[in-house]
Amino acid sequence: MATTTNYGWTTPDDTALVKDGASAIRTLGSSVDTTTKALNPSTTLGDIEYRSSTANTNTRLGIGTTGQVLTVAGGVPSWAAAATGGMTLLSTTTLSGATVTISSISQDYLSLFAVITGVTNATADGAFQCGPNNNFGVTSMIITDNCVTPLFGSYAVNSIRLSPDDGKPDRTSANNCLTMRIDNYTTSTYKPVQVYGYFNVSGNIYDRGYFGMGGIALTTGITSLVFNNAGGNLSTGTVLLYGVK
Amino acid sequence: MAKSTKPIIRIHNSETNEVIDREMTDDEFTKYQADKELENQREAEIQAKAAERQAIADRLGLTADDLKILLG
Repeated sequence: MATTTNYGWTTPDDTALVKDGASAIRTLGSSVDTTTKALNPSTTLGDIEYRSSTANTNTRLGIGTTGQVLTVAGGVPSWAAAATGGMTLLSTTTLSGATVTISSISQDYLSLFAVITGVTNATADGAFQCGPNNNFGVTSMIITDNCVTPLFGSYAVNSIRLSPDDGKPDRTSANNCLTMRIDNYTTSTYKPVQVYGYFNVSGNIYDRGYFGMGGIALTTGITSLVFNNAGGNLSTGTVLLYGVK
Repeated sequence: MAKSTKPIIRIHNSETNEVIDREMTDDEFTKYQADKELENQREAEIQAKAAERQAIADRLGLTADDLKILLG
């Protein structure tokens, strides 16, 4: 019997008898049907096919779920969750009272980033601080005011100094603001910390921008951040806490 | 009702978004005072350093404005 070039379907020979035509056509049609189905195994809306390891046989890949993207795993296509990145707002906290704790911080990110604005307190000028896991045991960071005056401090810190070191931030200035970044915050090793900001400083010529840096000497992950002001109760201010991937 | 004698603190659960304002417990108040004392000591060190700096400026005959020009 003769066969077709690509798929090897059986066809009648030129010398075949006419009486065998119906059977030959049925055989050919059946072969075409089988091959077509092998090449197009889709059954459901959104299905796609890809070449399998068997010649002339495709594999059906059902549609993924919303948000998934087509990727490759084990040498074949598959649907997977899209890679995520960027910043996720974890909480918006209004500063009020002797201390403010942001608790139950997610451990699903690489870094924490806090934007803190409008920090004032009701009682007296004083240093604004943050205690990771309520740890205020060892203070000091390298803090510079106006980026010209390096002030002493320890590179390894437990608590984070959030205001300039050289004088007390003006408790009434609603312009007091800063950003704080903590990397590696879920690890058991030291965590790099950076602080950039502006504080109006009472009775001091350094009343502009400043930055601070150090390593948080905690051997556990950070699950809470506690804010306070040595001058008294926090009066106003907002902390936007982001998780960063 | 007895008047509140300890500072009020705020706890914001970032997972549930629940905010609780309440009085400090005895333990929290003890720690708060210890932290405050630590900060007072540190502030005293900073002030002492500032005084030393001012003393040097005085010896050199520099005013606050002179320092601002030099360091600003």
